[in-house]
Amino acid sequence: MLASIPSAVLHGVDGIPVSVEVHVSNGLPGFTVVGLPDAAVRESRDRVRAALLSTGLTWPLRRVTVNLAPSGVRKGGAGLDLPIAVGLLVAAGELAPASVDGLSFAGELGLDGSLRPVPGALVVAGALAGTTLVLPEASAAEALGATAGEVRCASHLGELVGQLRGRRPWRHPDPPPPVAPVATEPAPDLAGVRGQALGRRALEVAAAGGHHLLLVGPPGSGKTMMATCLPGILPPLAPQVALEVRRIHSAAGLGPPAGLPDRPPLRAPHPGASAVSLLGGGAPGMRPGEISLAHGGVLFLDEMGEFPATVLDALRQPLEEGRIRVSRARATVDLPARFLLAGAMNPCPCGEGGTPGACRCSESARSRYHRRLSGPLLDRFDIAVRVERPEAAALVGPAGGEPSAPVAGRVAAARRFAAGRNVECNARLAAAELDSVAPLTTGACRILSAEVQRGALTGRGVVRVRRVARTIADLEGEEGPVRSHHMDEALLLRCRRDLLLGAAR
Amino acid sequence: MTAGGEPAVGSGRPVHDDVACAAALVGLPGMTPVRLARLLHGRRPAAAWAALLSGADPTASDPRWTVMAAATDPVEAAARYRTAGVEVIVEGDDRYPDRLRGDPGAPAVLLCRGDIAVAGVGPSVAVVGTRSATPYGEQVAAELGRDLAAAGVSVVSGLALGIDAAAHAGALAAGPGARPPVGVAATGLDVPYPRANARLWDGVARAGAVLSEAPLGSPPRRGAFPARNRIIAALSDVVVVVECHLGGGALHTAEAAARRGIPVVAVPGSVRSPASRGTNGLLVDGCAPVRDVHDVLVAVSLARAGRDAPAPALRARTFVAATGRDVAGALRAAGGSGDERCPVDDAAARAVWSALGPDPLTSAALAERTGLTIGDLARACRRLLGAGAVIEGPGWWRRRW
Ligand SMILES: [Zn+2]
Repeated sequence: MLASIPSAVLHGVDGIPVSVEVHVSNGLPGFTVVGLPDAAVRESRDRVRAALLSTGLTWPLRRVTVNLAPSGVRKGGAGLDLPIAVGLLVAAGELAPASVDGLSFAGELGLDGSLRPVPGALVVAGALAGTTLVLPEASAAEALGATAGEVRCASHLGELVGQLRGRRPWRHPDPPPPVAPVATEPAPDLAGVRGQALGRRALEVAAAGGHHLLLVGPPGSGKTMMATCLPGILPPLAPQVALEVRRIHSAAGLGPPAGLPDRPPLRAPHPGASAVSLLGGGAPGMRPGEISLAHGGVLFLDEMGEFPATVLDALRQPLEEGRIRVSRARATVDLPARFLLAGAMNPCPCGEGGTPGACRCSESARSRYHRRLSGPLLDRFDIAVRVERPEAAALVGPAGGEPSAPVAGRVAAARRFAAGRNVECNARLAAAELDSVAPLTTGACRILSAEVQRGALTGRGVVRVRRVARTIADLEGEEGPVRSHHMDEALLLRCRRDLLLGAAR
Repeated sequence: MTAGGEPAVGSGRPVHDDVACAAALVGLPGMTPVRLARLLHGRRPAAAWAALLSGADPTASDPRWTVMAAATDPVEAAARYRTAGVEVIVEGDDRYPDRLRGDPGAPAVLLCRGDIAVAGVGPSVAVVGTRSATPYGEQVAAELGRDLAAAGVSVVSGLALGIDAAAHAGALAAGPGARPPVGVAATGLDVPYPRANARLWDGVARAGAVLSEAPLGSPPRRGAFPARNRIIAALSDVVVVVECHLGGGALHTAEAAARRGIPVVAVPGSVRSPASRGTNGLLVDGCAPVRDVHDVLVAVSLARAGRDAPAPALRARTFVAATGRDVAGALRAAGGSGDERCPVDDAAARAVWSALGPDPLTSAALAERTGLTIGDLARACRRLLGAGAVIEGPGWWRRRW
């Protein structure tokens, strides 16, 4: 007898509908799965068998063939356990075919018959719109809102069989509370940053214009603290982006990101993390990496010089296109990765370089350190500032700085100007547009050309400085041309490669 | 063509003079000052050359030498040095600096651009220090160089970036009638290193002398720098270390001087400045501190008196009086007295100006000290830059001096 159960598997941040066809026939007892299963799916047999037996159901001593359609897609993960088990029960005559009409299933089975959560329930639910989805209880809440259909749940195979036979009531997941539970940590607030006028200003301009930001400074200068304040001053996520972010987090098996649903995420991967976990493409299902988890928010690379050069180079595509294309042995996937890049670095191995005479490093150690950062990557930063350890007075002083809320207000106001130019933020302004949307006064033009003449700016650098100057003018509420004092400030904040070489003369 | 030289008559090899052979010897591959000294121990270059050619020289450290020597014409080698304006001086020659005679590390062959006669004659002081110097260090080195030269003391240094360059620049700026400086290089005399100092090399060679042990064309080599430092020490009455990191190369020069009984004095620096850790350490170890040229001149006179040369002691006192004026002048020129008026009339610019000193401050520190908004700070700095009053470095600012 044949049963066909709708389910779905993950591929990157997309769900691919899969039809699980189970055929039970007379013949030599056996269990075969066809249709590009990965190792986890092939191991399903043992989990399904143990779960059936622990639940008091019978394992058919007949020939079982499971086909996963469409056959061209590689299926990974343990989420197909549940549809296989249900299909088997229908095909073996334990359940009436009508009892599964209009239902789809996803979930992993424990050996005791319990239903375990699956990664990406949200994405799976999206792919199964139009059916009534049955999920493990622990995953069900995540799926709400991703499908117009009904979501039901169970916590044990025995309970599910009871529900399908009409002997037990269906259960539905509780909708998640409208606001994040109080237990989530409050986002770091700028009020906790003492002093650091330059660093604060760099954060504000970066957030207002979506400019990538590099903080250079010795250990203890508060680079990490400052970078983690960025999400709190960025504008809240647009509903469309918020949904993308939830999908990505779901597909990565992380559940929804912490905090309010529209708070931009912050990811701060460790330099020692693997390339797969950073860039994406891990098993099962080509799951998204850290840079995709930062989509819509901030990717913070602390100790940027410690990341492998291959990883840093791989960032160039997402920085340009907002997506990363990951190819692995049998599959290729396109993952969203549009983030604000915040880097932090020591100026040199000893950390003290920056002004002449301060560095203790040997020339060779210093140049080895700086060679790690490729010029092309450094060119992506619109803003780079050297930050200092706060002076003792600032540390013991009574007051912290301005809190995040008013800064976020100015950032939001500045972004409204950008929206008027049909871009999300000024960092995305095309070079060709600058003359029309960011014209310069004569004074500003004179300052800029003087910098170009003395060789301090490349062509690419001019474009970046003009974008930042536009953002500074926007923050001031100035809609007209970019004036000379905006240009002065943009030049002070600009990323110059020799900022890292400041110790050399 | 007759310019190709006399054809050798007969079957015997021509006999070359010592200078030509010395020029050929220093250029052999893998030659080092130590190997050359071993090769020339107790014999003249012509004899050593002949022994090499014979192939039976036990002091030849490198098996390639015999082959190379056969292929080398000492006359041509000597001509190359003549064309480059480089004099070849062999230990034991009349023109070999007195001060190096009998030194345990005396170079067997010295190469010289300029006038070798100025080296090692009369009072001379080495002014050395770190390549990564602060403006404070460079300013002090420049003042010492200038005031020492004006006081009739030859300034010896290593022609490196930072302190070395500042000291020589100061000595050259002392004007006509000042004592000519001596530079000691670690590369070939036609390979100014670092390139940024090429003009300084020319200036020192024209006014005084630039010495080296390395053959023409010799690139910077690791071991050559410490070896060069021993010559700097040996040529000097006193070694002044102006600024030096812990473990810095200038400490090698100080050590080489100490081994020779040559006094080492040091310029004190901020206890917070890494570039002064080495020099402050020397002070703790008992070196005399140097506040200005007078302290150096006292040390020079004491050193020379100790070697029973009474005259300089007298001269030194004279120069103390003579240079008092110059130091004040140098300070005025440097603008380091701190009471200069801000050249831009604007409150923010004045705040920046008074926060800035000759030492660089990062934009972040400047913002902290002035309390200005970043926009006002940027504008003030740009205006001061436009007025030529400040220098902008990557991420930092300082007053021009
Ligand atoms: Zn360093």
